[in-house]
Amino acid sequence: MQAEDLYSAGEVGPDNQARVWDDKADIGMEIPSKGLSSTDAGMPERCEGQSRMKIMQEKLPRETRRIPPPSKLQRFSVDTNESLHFDPYVSQSDDDEPQLLSSHRGQMQYSDEVFEEENEIEEEQIGDQMCSIPEGGRSKHKMDVKERLSEDNETESPDVFCTDCKTPTWSFQNLYGPHKDHRVILISRATEEIKEDLQKTTGKLEEQIGLMENFASHLEEIFITVEENFGRQEQNLEQHYNDVIQTLSQRYEQGASRLADEKKLKLEALYGQLVDCGKTLDISKELIEEAQEIYRNENKLMFLQAVASAIARTEDLIKDEPNFKLLASLEFENSTVDLSDVKQMMDSINIVPAPSAPVINPQIPNSATSTSVRVCWSLFSDDTVEFYELHYRPVLDDTNAGLQAPEVLKKRAKETYLTVMDLLPNAQYEFWVTATNTTGVSPASEKAVYMTVPSPPVIKWRECTSFPDAALIRWESGNTNPVDSYTMELSEIGAECPDHGISESIVAIPTCECLIQLQSGRHYSICVRAINTGGPSERSEPVIIQTTGTYFHLLEDTAHPCLSISEDGFTMFYGDEDLPLSDMIFSDNTFARCVAVLGDLIPVRGRHYWEVDVEERTEFRIGIAYEDTQRNGFLGGNSTSWCMRHVITPSRHKYEFLHSGWSPDIRVTVHPKRVGVLLDYDAGKLSFFNAHLAQHLYTFHCHFLHLVHPCFALDSPGALTIHNGIAAPEYTMFN
Amino acid sequence: MAALTQVSSNKCCGGFQKVFEHYSTELKCRMKFAIYLPPKAENAKCPVFYWLSGLTCTEQNFITKAGSQQAASEHGLIIVAPDTSPRGCNIEGEDESWDFGTGAGFYVNATEDPWKVNYRMYAYVTEELPSLINAHFPADPEKMSISGHSMGGHGALICALKNPGKYKAVSAFAPICNPMQCAWGQKAFSGYLGSDKSTWEAYDATVLVGSYSGPQLDILIDQGRDDQFLSAGQLLPDNLIAACTEKKIPVVFRLQPGYDHSYYFVFSFINDHIKHHAKYLNA
Repeated sequence: MQAEDLYSAGEVGPDNQARVWDDKADIGMEIPSKGLSSTDAGMPERCEGQSRMKIMQEKLPRETRRIPPPSKLQRFSVDTNESLHFDPYVSQSDDDEPQLLSSHRGQMQYSDEVFEEENEIEEEQIGDQMCSIPEGGRSKHKMDVKERLSEDNETESPDVFCTDCKTPTWSFQNLYGPHKDHRVILISRATEEIKEDLQKTTGKLEEQIGLMENFASHLEEIFITVEENFGRQEQNLEQHYNDVIQTLSQRYEQGASRLADEKKLKLEALYGQLVDCGKTLDISKELIEEAQEIYRNENKLMFLQAVASAIARTEDLIKDEPNFKLLASLEFENSTVDLSDVKQMMDSINIVPAPSAPVINPQIPNSATSTSVRVCWSLFSDDTVEFYELHYRPVLDDTNAGLQAPEVLKKRAKETYLTVMDLLPNAQYEFWVTATNTTGVSPASEKAVYMTVPSPPVIKWRECTSFPDAALIRWESGNTNPVDSYTMELSEIGAECPDHGISESIVAIPTCECLIQLQSGRHYSICVRAINTGGPSERSEPVIIQTTGTYFHLLEDTAHPCLSISEDGFTMFYGDEDLPLSDMIFSDNTFARCVAVLGDLIPVRGRHYWEVDVEERTEFRIGIAYEDTQRNGFLGGNSTSWCMRHVITPSRHKYEFLHSGWSPDIRVTVHPKRVGVLLDYDAGKLSFFNAHLAQHLYTFHCHFLHLVHPCFALDSPGALTIHNGIAAPEYTMFN
Repeated sequence: MAALTQVSSNKCCGGFQKVFEHYSTELKCRMKFAIYLPPKAENAKCPVFYWLSGLTCTEQNFITKAGSQQAASEHGLIIVAPDTSPRGCNIEGEDESWDFGTGAGFYVNATEDPWKVNYRMYAYVTEELPSLINAHFPADPEKMSISGHSMGGHGALICALKNPGKYKAVSAFAPICNPMQCAWGQKAFSGYLGSDKSTWEAYDATVLVGSYSGPQLDILIDQGRDDQFLSAGQLLPDNLIAACTEKKIPVVFRLQPGYDHSYYFVFSFINDHIKHHAKYLNA
């Protein structure tokens, strides 16, 4: 049957195809014969790469290449795609050697002819001329030269060199003989010069060898690539033909079964009609026989009785017109087979397939900025792609999940990467990519989430404190969404590193503050980066930290409403005019009775020193307090604060050193215009000095249970100015 | 220079507490003085802290009761504690009372007979003794300071005020601040200096403050509040404070509640004073 033939044709298909493809592959690769040997194996994959290829030996010296003997080809055979075996041209084999020699000899012969008319010794220049022959050829020539030289020495050595004839000669020949009026130089100098030339030439040749080697390795790469490309084309071709054959076989099966069905229907109809005809014939014959029998009846009465019903039945039968129409159509239905799709498939065998889905890469570290990300993807390299389309949309976090899905944006790219701009900082975006060529659009790649880096943090310099051996840096995130961590970068400012190079980084800081150990008496430039999975942000604006003494700002939110603080944050005023109580705004953190303010926390142990300018008529309290010191109490009046207090009595200036409301009785004869405060956590001491006089006034001895804040208060209108970042003077060591 | 005779030597706080005897050319008699040599003095010249004792004291009181050696050892200070008066001069009435004559030299150069030959304690403590110390001990002649208790406090103050720059630091425990105005001072000054009170002024700290001119002073004074001589009006610190306030001479005066006039009081605050001196001597 036809169907069986077709079916078996489908089964043997690959074999046939392979044969076709092998032929094609060989043509395509322009690789001779060997590939065909694997044709019998049936599958094209097996023969792939087994072909041998011969390439002109690129490393051959120039001289020899002029007359390339058939064997002077570099052979390299490719067994697999992975390994490439070279049989480099090195004339090691016995076969090659004689050919080489003969070629050189032939040339020398030629050279000799040139100088035939000249002195026999002139032939020596051949050696020099031939010096540009590298590798195998050279040694041979050198040997020849040497031989000749030694021969000459046996007679009489030439003493000069004729530069015109390029040959050694005798000086007397310059006066007469063949070199008359020629320029001659001493033979030793000539040797030097020519050696130099020789070196130059050799150098050039080495360069060329290098270039040629590069070119050869480049060729190897191209070779492999070409081979791979053809391999893929072969696969494509196979795929296509498989598809076509599969489709054709399907069509055949459909067609064959349809034909069978139709045949069965028609035959059944015809057979039925035949049977019906037979039945009608039988009935008619019976009727005729019956009528003849009645006709022969001699009994007239009985005849008459019977004939009436017989006539009636015959008439009935005659009444039915015999149906001579064929119930089945003898025409074959004109079932046109639509093979347009097959044709299209056949056509498309030689056109590029639509690309397969690209593979989107995960985000590469440090490839994002706060407003852009560089998205990369790749593709099966055999796909021809005209352009890519990168689709993206922001990833909404849980809080926005209820909102409408964000719009998907698209960007076109020719390359397999694209830097997408105008994004929001510290935000996640979902990306996917399609590839398009003339045939169509690929399916979309997987989705990949990329993240823009955060905006740089903002250092809150007013909340940074520094100490002789440390600094506390505080900053604002600069981002509305949380970031993963922060990195602090610090560099010492000084002669040693004028380029502001980063000398130290502290990474993985979870919060917006960091206490760092530093060396005392230095200047540091400190900046902060915010980090998320996309990478680090730009640096924040730097803050300059000086590790001389202790440097803090005032916590203005603790200030009594009557206390105003200067622009620079270091001078506080208590004005003459009291605010009406109704205008005062108190918070839980505000001093309510004492016109006081706290300085920032001093969070590191060790010694801390600061000074305060005080006017003679100003009544003040200067000291330290725990963070939770009573806001409605007076500094020094409780167990949570220690301070020096200045009171003006009608008779004198009174100085108190107050803690828990008690002060020792101490008289100070000279009013301190600048009070020095020394806090020594470790020794448990708080000392006060007249800074101008280096005079020790008083020392509290106390074991500080908690970290403390500097504190300042004005008991009458006036001002206090804090001087920060001063190294503790030497004399404070003695108290 | 007169020869020194070592009377005693005891190792103390890594150094040595010694007592020497010598013949004083100023006082025309043999005198004892105590000297503490800190460990540092073995290798280097050390500053000298002169201590002037109070009425009735000898060189022994301070070294046995004040407990100064530990801090002196730490700060590398030599402490020199002379006697409080010439002794055994056979002057009529020298031993009659505890507040005049023997043990009560008041650190003046007497001008009245019969005291003027021997009772030249001011010259002794400011000139002769320092020369002796500088010659015989590893003392840094440029660095000396002075302190004292009661009459010695008076002595320390006048030595400092009369010799601007000579003493790098000065302090006092319960000093007789204004001797012209108190019974002790009046008795001593009239006896040693005569009835002309203008001559007294040269030895009165409160008066001297008014005419002081020289390097910035930083005077530390401790006073027991329960000192019977304070309430008896012998010490009169307020007068000195008023004068210093007036003249802007820096004083920190600490009235220590509960303390009396004894060496227990001195012992309690001697460390503060040695630190105060060390601050200037070791600067």
